[in-house]
Amino acid sequence: MTQSANNSVSRRAILQGAAATAGVGALGATSYWLGGVNRVSRSFGKKVIVIGVDGMDPRLCRSLMNSGKMPNMKRMAAVGGFSNLATSCPPQSPVAWANFINGAGPGSHGIFDFIHRHPHDQCVPFYSAAETLPGDGFVELGEHRLQLDFWPFNHEPPKTVLRRQGVPFWDFLDKQRITSVFYDLPSNYPPSPSQYGYHRCVCGMGTPDMQGTYGTYQYFSEDSPASGLDEGGGKRSKIAFENGSARVTLIGPENSMLKHPTPITVDVDVHRDSASSTVLLEVQGQKIMLKPGEWSRWTKLDFSISTPRPLPSQHANGICRFFLQESGPNFRLYVTPINVDPSNPAVQLSEPSNFIEDVSQDLGLFYTTGFQEDHKARSNGVFNDDEFRRQATSVLEERLTLFEYAVENYDDGLLFFYFSSSDLQSHMFWWDADEDPQHPTRSSPEAASRFQYVKELYQRLDGIIGDIYDRYGDKATIYIMSDHGFANFGRQFNVNSWLRDFGYLNPRECASILTDADWSRTRAYGLGINGLYLNLKGRERDGIVEPGEEQEKLTRQLIARLKSVRDFNGKQVIRNVYRASEIYAGNATALAPDLIIGYARGYRASWETCLGELTPDVLLDNTSAWSADHCADALEVPGILCCNKPIHSANPSLTDIAPSILADFGIQTPATMTGRSVFTT
Amino acid sequence: MLTQIVVWLNQWANGIAGLVLRPVSWTPGWVSTTVIGALAGVAMLIVFKYTSHQSAIKRTRNQIKANLLALSLFKDDLRVGLRAQGSLLLGAGQLLGLSLAPMLVMLIPTCLLLGQLALWYQAKPLAVGEEAIVTLHTAHDPDSVANVQIAAAPFFEVAKGPVRAPADDFVSWQLRGLQPGTHEITFELADQQFTKQFSVGDGYMPISLLRPAWNWSEVLLHPREAPFGAASPVQSIEIVYPDRDSWTSGTDSWLIYWFLISMVAAFAARPFLNVNI
Repeated sequence: MTQSANNSVSRRAILQGAAATAGVGALGATSYWLGGVNRVSRSFGKKVIVIGVDGMDPRLCRSLMNSGKMPNMKRMAAVGGFSNLATSCPPQSPVAWANFINGAGPGSHGIFDFIHRHPHDQCVPFYSAAETLPGDGFVELGEHRLQLDFWPFNHEPPKTVLRRQGVPFWDFLDKQRITSVFYDLPSNYPPSPSQYGYHRCVCGMGTPDMQGTYGTYQYFSEDSPASGLDEGGGKRSKIAFENGSARVTLIGPENSMLKHPTPITVDVDVHRDSASSTVLLEVQGQKIMLKPGEWSRWTKLDFSISTPRPLPSQHANGICRFFLQESGPNFRLYVTPINVDPSNPAVQLSEPSNFIEDVSQDLGLFYTTGFQEDHKARSNGVFNDDEFRRQATSVLEERLTLFEYAVENYDDGLLFFYFSSSDLQSHMFWWDADEDPQHPTRSSPEAASRFQYVKELYQRLDGIIGDIYDRYGDKATIYIMSDHGFANFGRQFNVNSWLRDFGYLNPRECASILTDADWSRTRAYGLGINGLYLNLKGRERDGIVEPGEEQEKLTRQLIARLKSVRDFNGKQVIRNVYRASEIYAGNATALAPDLIIGYARGYRASWETCLGELTPDVLLDNTSAWSADHCADALEVPGILCCNKPIHSANPSLTDIAPSILADFGIQTPATMTGRSVFTT
Repeated sequence: MLTQIVVWLNQWANGIAGLVLRPVSWTPGWVSTTVIGALAGVAMLIVFKYTSHQSAIKRTRNQIKANLLALSLFKDDLRVGLRAQGSLLLGAGQLLGLSLAPMLVMLIPTCLLLGQLALWYQAKPLAVGEEAIVTLHTAHDPDSVANVQIAAAPFFEVAKGPVRAPADDFVSWQLRGLQPGTHEITFELADQQFTKQFSVGDGYMPISLLRPAWNWSEVLLHPREAPFGAASPVQSIEIVYPDRDSWTSGTDSWLIYWFLISMVAAFAARPFLNVNI
């Protein structure tokens, strides 16, 4: 009897257990397959998603969150946390993103400003994050100069090298066989290699266009000067119609195989029909019809690189879009910088190199230059505000398509995606009237309406955050972060003019330190946005300041005088001046400026300062369309950190993000990093 | 005269292709290119067999084999080696010469077949709502450019244009397809009417990219529509259709795929048909 009862219970238990197991299995399978329905990865691997929103400002975020206009970020912050994120010193994007990449400060990665100089060249500037080195050796054949990189020639062709030093945090993931995928990562061009093949990256800020610049638009109009005009970041050319037709020339990359390299060009035939206000463009067999205000699709351009006969000519592929601003009476046609074609890139734009081709196979053509919103076209008056906003919005639309691709193709590991819109649109449209009611060039209502664009953009980005939070909020650690915040930029300070006025820089009539400084009488100079260098003996080519006592005395004097600079209305211009020796630690400090100037909100280095030019006045109004900036004191413009996991750190910093990500994957903070996980107190 | 011959040949080819290639419209692209490529390869092999001097080809190939053998057997004898190499070169030349006659026989049918296949694979029709640029080239006459009009029809609408380019003798419109089917657009100029096929739909359908001028090479490449006369005020009408994207039957690859398949099929069928090539 007992035996029978035991048997009966046992059978029931088995049946119940089997039913429970089947139920759990069915539930698991359902959840697994529902992942596909909800557009969520089905992988069970650890997931971390980082959304980098360049320039998103904590003050504006808080204000919009409090007024219910950024509900998704508020919802996420309620679960995890929202905090200021201490930025780099100086708070410039290449420096800040390199801090993020290394989990350590500029002393580890060696990027201190957009612009650096080699001391042995006495202030000749170059872009800090990448540098093109000249080749070595060649053979000449007629008009051509060939570099043959095989035996017995072994010539070295010119190459672009990544100047960022140190160990990027994804190398530690790569080593542990953890996948990491980055889309549009700044400060990583050319892309650093993946040793184990688990890291993929599409390069972002710092990626050049086909001309090797950081974005040079071409603009054709009937009112341009006949001789053309090279303006910073663009080229204007005159177009002259004859019987309704004209031909313009697009300038592409230089043919480096020539003894005297000249740009390779592509002709565009332009036909204008005044009656229908329509224009037909013919370029390399492709036809594009545009009405005023219309953008073309991406158009492929084939640049044929001539070679000595009988060698076959080589080809480099670029892409551009045309924007017909006006068909008449003043014809105006804008052409985007010629981007490297992602479907057949002429230079490596991703790691591995075919990654961007795979993306392009699915998405078609898209911007590949680092700076995609054409702020220079706006600053130079080629775009008005509406045209710039439309172009910037089209960039955002393109990024959103790429973002959807990134999320759809994400399984597990780390996914990083970068949005530039909040930075470059803020540069043009930000104006906080609470800090300064008077915009230098716009009326108050106009400035307010433009600032509204920025707020609308934040709301749109909040929608994207909401989507990713809904999809992955309970499956992944999600970081929303920015590299810095924003501030008005109404007044500009020329460091070199100030140095001249105090007799540190000579002669008095010096117009540019690149061309007419007397280095035997110059003790300090400014280059880049926040950097100030001493003309130090033994370091600079023509240095005169003795290291040691004289250096220290001069440094103290400069700091005291800079901090005492006041504007016409008594406002403090410079909040703080930092000594590189005190704030930077690491093995990569050789090119660091001696002093880093931290401007007060509302101020920044003048446009002329950046490349060493001088102006009669030290302080001027900023009349550029670029009317907001972040290159102030680092304490004035922190970024944001919003996470769906509680943040325990009281003062999180950019350098803390990498250790936090590694901690999420169970990897201890490496010795190369100075940051620490934000999830520990 | 040459153009007129090509026009006649095209009429004949259009008639046959209209019947033979009809299944392409309801067959997956990779299947149709593979089947047509394979059948064409076998057909070309048969033509080769009956239009070439098979015994001479066999003899030449045997001589080549013998010379290859001599090369490997007498590799230490420079004189024999050089003579064998010379004979090999001669044999290769002879083979080429013996292939000339069948190649000439096959040249015209192959060109006609490729012209017909291009109608199906070179481009895809406009989807409903999709736009394409239509360009009408006139004879050198500014008045023609100024006066040519497009006649309204329910199957399309003018999205943009016209753009009249008197300096280059053409007028362009951007048209939006509204109704599926193969339609005819009518252009009017000086009381005359000129038509051009306009294809809207999905899947596979024969598409005429160009109604050509009176030029034999253009007529050969664009066989579907009759060319304009040499004295016509309208010289050609072109439509830029979207590319077809496929490894086997796409714009940039169908021809390569077709050649590969036809060669593979011909080589596979060679032992069964007992052909010396």
